Amino acid sequence: MLLLIPTILGLTIFMFILIDSVPKGILASPYINPHSSVPVKIQIQNALKILGLNYPPPIAYLFYLDRLVHGDLGLMSMPGYPNSVSAAILDALPNTIQLTIFASIVSIAIAIPLGTYIGARPNSVADQAGRIFTLTGYAIPAFWLALLLQLGLGKGTISGNPFGFFPISGSFTASLIPYPPPSWFVGGYTEPTHLVIFDSLIHGDFPLFVDSLEHIVLPTLTLTYVLLAGILRFIRAGMVDASNQEYVKTARSKGVPEKQVIKKHIRKNAMIPAVTVMGLLIAGLLGGVVLTETVFQYPGMGYLTTQGILYYQVWLVMGGALVFGLILVLTNLIVDVVYAMTDPRIRY
Amino acid sequence: MVTESTIGGKVLKSRNTKRRPRMEDFSHTFKLFVKNKIAFVGFAIVLIYFIITVLDYADPYWLGVANINTVASWAPHLTAAVPTPPTLARGWWYWFGETQFQAPIFPVMLAALKTDITYSLIVVLTGLVIGIVLGTLSGYFGKLYDELLMRITDIFFSVPTLVMAIAVTTVLGYSLQNVMIALIIIWWPIYARLTRGVSLSIKSNKYIEASTAAGSSGLRNVFVHVLPNVLSVVFVQFSLDLGTVVQLLAALDFIGFNKANPLLPELGSMLTWGTTYLVGGIWWPIVVPGIFLLIFTVAVNLMGDGLRDVLDPKLRR
Repeated sequence: MLLLIPTILGLTIFMFILIDSVPKGILASPYINPHSSVPVKIQIQNALKILGLNYPPPIAYLFYLDRLVHGDLGLMSMPGYPNSVSAAILDALPNTIQLTIFASIVSIAIAIPLGTYIGARPNSVADQAGRIFTLTGYAIPAFWLALLLQLGLGKGTISGNPFGFFPISGSFTASLIPYPPPSWFVGGYTEPTHLVIFDSLIHGDFPLFVDSLEHIVLPTLTLTYVLLAGILRFIRAGMVDASNQEYVKTARSKGVPEKQVIKKHIRKNAMIPAVTVMGLLIAGLLGGVVLTETVFQYPGMGYLTTQGILYYQVWLVMGGALVFGLILVLTNLIVDVVYAMTDPRIRY
Repeated sequence: MVTESTIGGKVLKSRNTKRRPRMEDFSHTFKLFVKNKIAFVGFAIVLIYFIITVLDYADPYWLGVANINTVASWAPHLTAAVPTPPTLARGWWYWFGETQFQAPIFPVMLAALKTDITYSLIVVLTGLVIGIVLGTLSGYFGKLYDELLMRITDIFFSVPTLVMAIAVTTVLGYSLQNVMIALIIIWWPIYARLTRGVSLSIKSNKYIEASTAAGSSGLRNVFVHVLPNVLSVVFVQFSLDLGTVVQLLAALDFIGFNKANPLLPELGSMLTWGTTYLVGGIWWPIVVPGIFLLIFTVAVNLMGDGLRDVLDPKLRR
């Protein structure tokens, strides 16, 4: 737990080094008001003074850290987004979390029964099919998979495609929002959770609910495929490993039904290695989220960050990277706790 | 002088055969690798990709144009017209149809392999050298240096690779060269971690103790005894990473980091060109380059898995 602190501090130092190597004028540019009567040069000087960037780097870093502690990730200027990076990230974060959680639930729900089935029958036809599946899932570029799904299942891409009924961009259809928009629709996001699926239910807008569900299908499928391949591979390996153990032989020879052996003796032990690599899988998932959201223009943090690249918003990109890092560090902590819970041999 | 000795009935020659055991070991490894058919197919595909890359360098004109570093060579007018579908009627250039600018996909894709494979090789090899040197020394000498290095690698592992690459490239500037530099910056920690672990376990072996007792210095131990043992582990990681880096490079290019030279043939750029026509239902500019990318990464993974089986002393023999 305490080991996280040096990692997070180190991460902020690295981010600061990156920010500090950008030309000062670019860092100050979102702080400048072009309509002000104050000359731009003086505005830049003032902005640098506020940011502490005119001090030597160690002191400037303390300024940066102070702003981070107060939740200030800097400013940005992009059409259609708030000026504060923190506000923009907070607006977009729920969508990213929703997407990752949906993908995780779907892939775990598929992976555990499928992994059990495959792992109990090593080198069978099902196992070979599973191997091809995991191999392609491992090797397929997430953004290309997203594009393929847009082509194969997307509405309005290939004409006359019988499977093309899923919308390919955004998190809902804008024309479903009446004009003037309802009071719970603020700044392009729905209140209170920013998740259109839940907010439309809360406010009883059923067509919007169905529409938003249709919008999340393709991004979830993309992420599920990427994640499922990883989980399946490790569950299978764990199953094969565990079924060679002595206690499995003992259980079989004393007459425990095969179903019980697989469920209680093999699968339970097979889950342990799968949980240890969870951290790695989540890192891959977060990378996949960035690409998936970009291709589907799903208004989450990944899409926000790549928009920041197009508009060259340094504070936004760095803030996004930092938040992604924090999410990963925290999920790794949770994974460790879950690991300790699944494996009674480990006690911290 | 003893030139021959007999152990268990087998004659071992010691003169002029200092490298013999290692060469024999290598040929044995290679035989095992060839026996693993799937891995060998992967290796063959990777080899074909490399040959195409070498051809791109050796004789750029084999793709039919003088300059293969810009799409403009194949499609001089860079017209925005709708690309034509795959056809066999117009010669091998047009087998896979056209992409944006009415450029033929096939030769552009073959030219793109030069960019992708060269850059990924540079990234992985540079990362590997830096990582091995830092990791092996850190594992062997340990203490404060080890602690410091591990904390630094922690930073790189605390952010998803793609996001880290985005952050570093944004700072360096938008071009493919800078994407490459950014990937090098974030790639060495993987090898540093890996080699550190291996060299830590090798360090406790008796033969290291013996060579120290015989007067060998720490650095000599590292280079003569630890490094050769680290290499086989690193080699597997290297072959697997090649696929990951090609993917990452294409992804970063796709996101929009190749602003400096948008006409450069590169698989990520080709997919970006393809997305222009996504809504029109024109599938070949997206599907074809992606399949070539997928074949490469699958082949690399097959090869890497095979190598792991062959090089792992627990699984071989």
